[in-house]
Amino acid sequence: MFKLMELEWRKLHTRKVMGEAVIYWVILMILPTIFLQFVFADAPNIPLGESYGAAMEIMLPIQMGFLLFGASLVNHVFIEEFKNRTMALSYGYPLSRRRLVMAKTMFIAGAVYLCSLISFVLAGITTYGFDLALDFIEGVPTAADLANYALRAVVHAAVVALASLIPLFWFGLWRRAVIPTVLCAIVLMQMQNFLGWFSITLNADLLYAIMSLLGLVSVYLSVKFVNKLGDL
Amino acid sequence: MNAIIQTHDLTKAVKGKSIVSNVNLNARKGEIYGLLGPNGAGKTTIMKMLTGLIIPTSGEIMLFGKKLDESAKDGLKRIGSIIEYPIFFEHLTAMENLRIHCEYLGFYDERAIHQALDMVQLQGIENKRVKDFSLGMKQRLGIARAAITRPELIVLDEPTNGLDPIGIKDMRDLVRTLNKEYGITFLLSSHILAEIEQMADRIGVVRQGQLVDEVSLADIRQQRTDYLELVTSNVQRSVFLLEHELRATNLKIVQDNKIRIYDAGITAGQISKLLVSQDIEIEEIQKHTGTLEDYFYNQIQGGDKHV
Repeated sequence: MFKLMELEWRKLHTRKVMGEAVIYWVILMILPTIFLQFVFADAPNIPLGESYGAAMEIMLPIQMGFLLFGASLVNHVFIEEFKNRTMALSYGYPLSRRRLVMAKTMFIAGAVYLCSLISFVLAGITTYGFDLALDFIEGVPTAADLANYALRAVVHAAVVALASLIPLFWFGLWRRAVIPTVLCAIVLMQMQNFLGWFSITLNADLLYAIMSLLGLVSVYLSVKFVNKLGDL
Repeated sequence: MNAIIQTHDLTKAVKGKSIVSNVNLNARKGEIYGLLGPNGAGKTTIMKMLTGLIIPTSGEIMLFGKKLDESAKDGLKRIGSIIEYPIFFEHLTAMENLRIHCEYLGFYDERAIHQALDMVQLQGIENKRVKDFSLGMKQRLGIARAAITRPELIVLDEPTNGLDPIGIKDMRDLVRTLNKEYGITFLLSSHILAEIEQMADRIGVVRQGQLVDEVSLADIRQQRTDYLELVTSNVQRSVFLLEHELRATNLKIVQDNKIRIYDAGITAGQISKLLVSQDIEIEEIQKHTGTLEDYFYNQIQGGDKHV
């Protein structure tokens, strides 16, 4: 399976994908500082700057930005392969379609997980660095804050990786449509805000759990129905 | 028989409509098998099913004596193919494409990659991106990829489509070389009879999704139908004389003034002598040979045209 995942990577425009990841890293690295220093600085009802523990609350939704990277990978790994018909090459090899879809899915999830995890580290270091210079978070990070951040990063990166697969079945495998895939990722990314607009209160962790579950369902359906929907 | 491909009632339907139905195809080891049929007859669909690209609705495919389905695709290891047109990862170089192909098949022999490129006369392009290749070069690279792992069977769908005359000849020579020197079995398709005729040992005729005939070219050549065609203004009297004086038993009147005589023992000289002696005017008498084209025209058109 690792070999198949590696081959998925080699088939991509690797520079293009790396370039995308770097852009996401840079943006998500500085976004927490922008929010803490400028957007929420004069909002006493949102006390994110009162401690490092509180500031962490903004890191999780910001890192959902990697859902867009996931949508981009669904596009490269599935939709483009169907449209360019290079999927036909994979079908001609002695491996089942289900195994192929699993390999592609695991590659996407793995890439999003890894990039998201790196993003957490970069965003954490950058925010701390900017805080040293601009002092928008009160106090210093404690060992407990760091441990908690590390734990949340590991878990949340998994949430992002799984949630990024939500558009896979419907928009990636079935409809093979790029724009709806990206729009779906944007909606998921902004889900907490959308729920707020409709005055729906949902615990953030519960929302992440639901999104992860939907991602798994999408993977299950993709693997189950690839023999029916995967013809070229 | 040593069959490499056998299909039993192979059928593909899309949205309830049959594209290919009940195909029973048999390709033997070492032969060049040509699938012949008009555009849209179902040749590509048959080939796609044989190479795992689409899943049959019903029926069975046996490759190298083993059943091929989604849970057992091992037979595909022994096949190289180009279906419709050569597909590559266009942003990658020729070498990168070939390496990825080999790795999917668990084949690691860098030398074989260079040999395959040499074989199709593609040297010095290893690091060129495929998007910069001409169609002819892609076709050659496709053949190199299909042959790189020394498969026992190569499936080529319309292999000369889009090639210039030199490219067509090169492709034909390449197929023959791989067949004769390496013993590779070929399954080719084409809607052009002359092309198939020049390459294939056996032909399967596909019409409206069905394999209507499977025959060797040698057999067809033996079945060629020779006849004499007589053009005269007095058809009735001529037929009477041919039947009673020359004992002709296999005649056919075509149009109002033409008679075709299929009896092998009757010569044009005998007919001329007889009719002249009876004062019947002969406008024309000519020997005809039924061509391969006639044979396949009959098969493909369902016998609408008489030879």
